[in-house]
Amino acid sequence: MKNIKLSLSLFLLLVFSFSCQPKRIKAPELPLDRHQPFNFVAKKGMVVAAHPLAAEAGLQMLKQGGNAVDSAITTAFALNAAEPFASGIGGGGFMVIYLAREKKVTVINFREKAPGLASPRMFEDKGETSEELRTISGLAVAVPGALAGWNHALKKYGTRSLSDVAQRAIEIAEKGFVVSQTFSSINKEEYEKLAKNAGETSCYLNNGFPYEEGDLFRNPELARTLKLIASKGIEEFYKGEIAAKIVEAVNAKGGIMTLKDLESYEPEEQSPLKGTYKNFTLYTIFPPGSGGLHLIQLLNIARNWPVKKWGHNSPAYIHHMSEALRFIFADRDHYLGDPDFISIPVEKLLSKEYATLIASKIKPEEILNSYPYGKFDKTQDNKENTTHICVIDKDGNIVSLTQSINLFFGSAIVPEGTGFLLNDHMDDFSSDPNSPNAPQSNRRPVSSMAPLIMFVKEKPFLVLGSPGGTRIFPSLAQIIINIIDFGMSLDEAIESPRFFSYSSEGKARSISLESRIPEITIKALEQIGHKITIKEPFDKYFGGAQAILISQGRKIIYGGADSRRDGYGVGY
Amino acid sequence: MKKAVFVASLFIFLFNLEAFSLIEETPFIFEQPLLITSAGQSAEVQLASVLAKRAGLTYTLSKIATSKDLENIKTLVLVLGTSLKGLGAAGLDTAKEKARVLLLLTEAQKKNIPLLCLHLGGESRRGQLTDEMIEDFLPFAKMAIVVKSGNKDGIFSKICKEKNIPLIEVEKTVDALEPLKQAFKTGSSANPA
Repeated sequence: MKNIKLSLSLFLLLVFSFSCQPKRIKAPELPLDRHQPFNFVAKKGMVVAAHPLAAEAGLQMLKQGGNAVDSAITTAFALNAAEPFASGIGGGGFMVIYLAREKKVTVINFREKAPGLASPRMFEDKGETSEELRTISGLAVAVPGALAGWNHALKKYGTRSLSDVAQRAIEIAEKGFVVSQTFSSINKEEYEKLAKNAGETSCYLNNGFPYEEGDLFRNPELARTLKLIASKGIEEFYKGEIAAKIVEAVNAKGGIMTLKDLESYEPEEQSPLKGTYKNFTLYTIFPPGSGGLHLIQLLNIARNWPVKKWGHNSPAYIHHMSEALRFIFADRDHYLGDPDFISIPVEKLLSKEYATLIASKIKPEEILNSYPYGKFDKTQDNKENTTHICVIDKDGNIVSLTQSINLFFGSAIVPEGTGFLLNDHMDDFSSDPNSPNAPQSNRRPVSSMAPLIMFVKEKPFLVLGSPGGTRIFPSLAQIIINIIDFGMSLDEAIESPRFFSYSSEGKARSISLESRIPEITIKALEQIGHKITIKEPFDKYFGGAQAILISQGRKIIYGGADSRRDGYGVGY
Repeated sequence: MKKAVFVASLFIFLFNLEAFSLIEETPFIFEQPLLITSAGQSAEVQLASVLAKRAGLTYTLSKIATSKDLENIKTLVLVLGTSLKGLGAAGLDTAKEKARVLLLLTEAQKKNIPLLCLHLGGESRRGQLTDEMIEDFLPFAKMAIVVKSGNKDGIFSKICKEKNIPLIEVEKTVDALEPLKQAFKTGSSANPA
């Protein structure tokens, strides 16, 4: 009898202990169709980035006790190895950091700068702007800022050394990885400049031919470079052996960079740019990062309209947003440049009144075809190409980081024996020598990047960003409206079909939209008078957003990774 | 011993066949020099010139070739693939590009210059605009060489079967080198148009 009682007690104890165990989140299996919306899920921390190897590297850092900044820089380094065509130490970017304990948001601006010898007409050849000079000559290369920016963030807000955060990138570069369809497709698209600049024997071509899906890509030279930087510090890049190689490579292709340009490069830490949409607050970057400013402008305009009533991607929605974009691009062309050198009426551009004025001008069934920029007094405002990384750590610190080398594979110029690609961000300067964004000595070119962190009731809600050039902020606005107004889940909002339009010299340009938008909608837009350019169903043209959404009370963290690129999320 | 030599020879023959497969039994034989041009302005036109160079062929590359480029040319090579970026760089749109290629083909036909079509980008380089180029211009070809993954849906097979065009599929772009060489065997005359 005693034994039966004992056995029963033990059995009940066992049952009780199982029922008390915290329910583990079982990671759902990835769908076979990578375009099918899929939210990555975690409880403590998450990393979302444009390559699985990079996201895994960032997560590993979190699990080893690193914070969000350590993890973001680890991921950034790893992307240089795993997604070399979109970012790396040869480029630059912006980072928005939220420090949970201090409840403080800060921005690190590591955008590249024009060389000291830059001038407004530097891209002219026989009186005309040369596309080649702007994108694949040595003149295309701006002074890289990535390493300086990462190092600044790490020293001030991280807990790990440069060597720690570079380690995984070194391994990826040494061991290599299997090339994806995305990599192969982009490699094929950029074949000509790679053959011309990097050379047929470069690791960026496979025995002189583009990489096919399934091939192994290795970059031992990059591994050696990163080891050197890890052991000797970033001074090796900005003042040492690597600096000399950069200058030599750039000038061999007709550039004007000097050792002094590299030596004098400094990142900037800035206050974030703040905006609101409905009861949400968002923090993003100041100019020369124009994306943040224009994103807030677009949301300010959109809040005047019954977008939910119109319906997602309805003709009314696409028409109104396209007209709004055309006004915004007029402001962009007139006002945007490097605020270290010119004044930009940021406050006026972001005012709700100005947005309402623009909204009131837009007609429901008609294209205006005239988009004047906003006329303000040029008072001095305080300043308070591409891949994106989102990180949240267990303490609630967050990093939203967008970085780029501009066009895929940048300038395709590789400093001798270093393995990394130099940017062609000088192409982000205007070709109009009178533009506020004309190339000038030491200026930062206007960027469309817009990494952001969104809050609701002062609690972090959404971390978001994307590559995609001028399509960045329109795409981010659509994702935000998809979530807030159309009630979509995170990845559904990201995977949803996108559109884009702009104006140039005050005239409307066509609406580019993914072919998944129904024919009936396209016909309706054409009837209004829009010219339409149809893009592929999940066209990279519209960016490759990465996002983290934090449920209230931080019970669940969701990750969304754009299937337009090789986006991936991991958490724990 | 004879049996071993026969088996070894058979093995070597079958091994070489792995890199490409010929779907039609009687391939067309072309003459040199070639004019290589694009239908769609994708970057693969540059690849075609690399292949031609490595194959030791006499060729001219002209991405936006017109009728006047056909002078002294014996074969026209059309690399199928649309890139909006490439079209933009060339100052063209899809409609203008199609018109250019159509004029070129019409002139080539008048001069009895046969057409060889290539699609080298594989599956990742297919899309609606590229498909339009394939449908419009492949039917003019005397032969086609394509990377196999770009024919997963059978678009090339279907058109080639309908028009009796020999179709060679290769695994990767670099594998197109051998069939390209063989399509231009020296000492052979071109088949009559």
